[in-house]
Amino acid sequence: MSAHDTTCATQAIDDFCLHDRRILVTGASSGIGQATASLLAELGATLVLAGGRDADKLEASRSALTGEGHLALAGDLLADDKALDQAILAAGPYDGLAWCAGAADLAPLRMASQKHLQHMLEINFLAPMRITQQLLYKKQLCEGASLVYVTTVGTWHCPAASAAYDSAKAALECAVRTLAAEGAPKIRANCIAPGFVKTPMLESLQAKGMQMEEIFQPLGMPETLDIAPSIAWLLSAASAWVTRTTLTVDSGISLPVRH
Amino acid sequence: MNSQTMPSSSARQRANALFGLAGKTVLITGASKGIGLATAQLCASLGATLHLVARDEAALTDLQASLDGAGHVVHALDLVADNALKTLTAALPALDGVVHCAGRHGIIPVRMVQDAFLHEITTLNYHVPFLLTRNLLQKNLLNNGASLVFLSSISATTGTTGLAPYASTKAALLGMMRPLALEIARKKMRANALCPALVATAMIQDTLDDPERMAHFSKFYPFGLGKTRDIARACVFFLSDASAKITGTAFAIDGGVRAV
Repeated sequence: MSAHDTTCATQAIDDFCLHDRRILVTGASSGIGQATASLLAELGATLVLAGGRDADKLEASRSALTGEGHLALAGDLLADDKALDQAILAAGPYDGLAWCAGAADLAPLRMASQKHLQHMLEINFLAPMRITQQLLYKKQLCEGASLVYVTTVGTWHCPAASAAYDSAKAALECAVRTLAAEGAPKIRANCIAPGFVKTPMLESLQAKGMQMEEIFQPLGMPETLDIAPSIAWLLSAASAWVTRTTLTVDSGISLPVRH
Repeated sequence: MNSQTMPSSSARQRANALFGLAGKTVLITGASKGIGLATAQLCASLGATLHLVARDEAALTDLQASLDGAGHVVHALDLVADNALKTLTAALPALDGVVHCAGRHGIIPVRMVQDAFLHEITTLNYHVPFLLTRNLLQKNLLNNGASLVFLSSISATTGTTGLAPYASTKAALLGMMRPLALEIARKKMRANALCPALVATAMIQDTLDDPERMAHFSKFYPFGLGKTRDIARACVFFLSDASAKITGTAFAIDGGVRAV
């Protein structure tokens, strides 16, 4: 385990690497998903990037990855796209899942239409549930697989106008805790709860009028590359006893908010 | 998930850049045993230069000799002794990380708790990490970006009979850690707590030796009791640049325990 050992010997850092792991990544066309895919590949993982309505964008993410053998499966995770679901299952079995696909839209409750509620629920809760259920049912998760779902500190921070988004993510957190209980000791399942991260999703919310000036980020605004290492750690053997929990990566913004 | 092959050198390089501790000087209290010992071993393997604190000088010297790397320093002292914190602080260089592992346990119902025990457990588990942190800040011994890791416990946020003294000291640590995280953030310093469930160490030897308690616990731990190495790897994550935007968290690491 010495730092001076040759590359033939096991090193302490190896537990933090993702060699020999086949990992399914959703939302890899942009934002946290893209940064995560990039890092996981650098750490040695073989990736299947799934879901993305813009096939060219997804392919651009795939072709930029370190290493070989990565797949891009374009398609709409929402559209009940049987071909996409079957392609995901056919590309398994997986040692890990990084569920980064998601969408946030703002609406105060008095303006929260059925369509808005349904859309937030579909992409943030029903889609990850459907794919997870399929992976379990079709036995496409290897012994020791680690599943990581990106949620939000909004699940208890609950700022104005985000009821549909935050409650869909809260539903996902609950389901992941159940999944971790049911899956143990074969699989692990955890959530990552970012605060506000500099992503295209956040920029589009700001463009629609979301005020960020009053939000104090003690350690500054996180970038997507600040979130990816937490996902990598939870996917790696270095987090072997971590399951059924949520890792908050929010620069400390939720500190003044009671649980 | 037992890997048959080694990672490529580029994967190792990337992992070392993110999770490695090369160039970091880290203080570990309670380093002679259990979680502190495992954390010291892993931190040294990942390139950190260590300052090791515990009472048992022989154990610390043996550990120092066995660690990867060079330049590790032993501070054999009893953290609760008069002037111990002052002596320790005076002997330390500027630090990039601190892992507060020193602590004691004890199972006793509230009605049986004696004044002396409550005083002792509060002093070691709560006053020592609090006042050591204060000293390090006062003497400017924490570099910008330093990461402070406090070993709290699942008992800080759950109810377990007999754990009132221990659990309340570990909850007090959380109460200290959150304001601290805000106070030090402008220097990019971070403070986080780990909340492990039962980890197989000498600290809970009485539990490990009690077949009835062990049979009871095993039902609730689908991944078994924690190993010191599991907690050490979490400490490394929180010390490393991989967690640069994580502060103020009380992170549960408990093998998915359902209840204790």
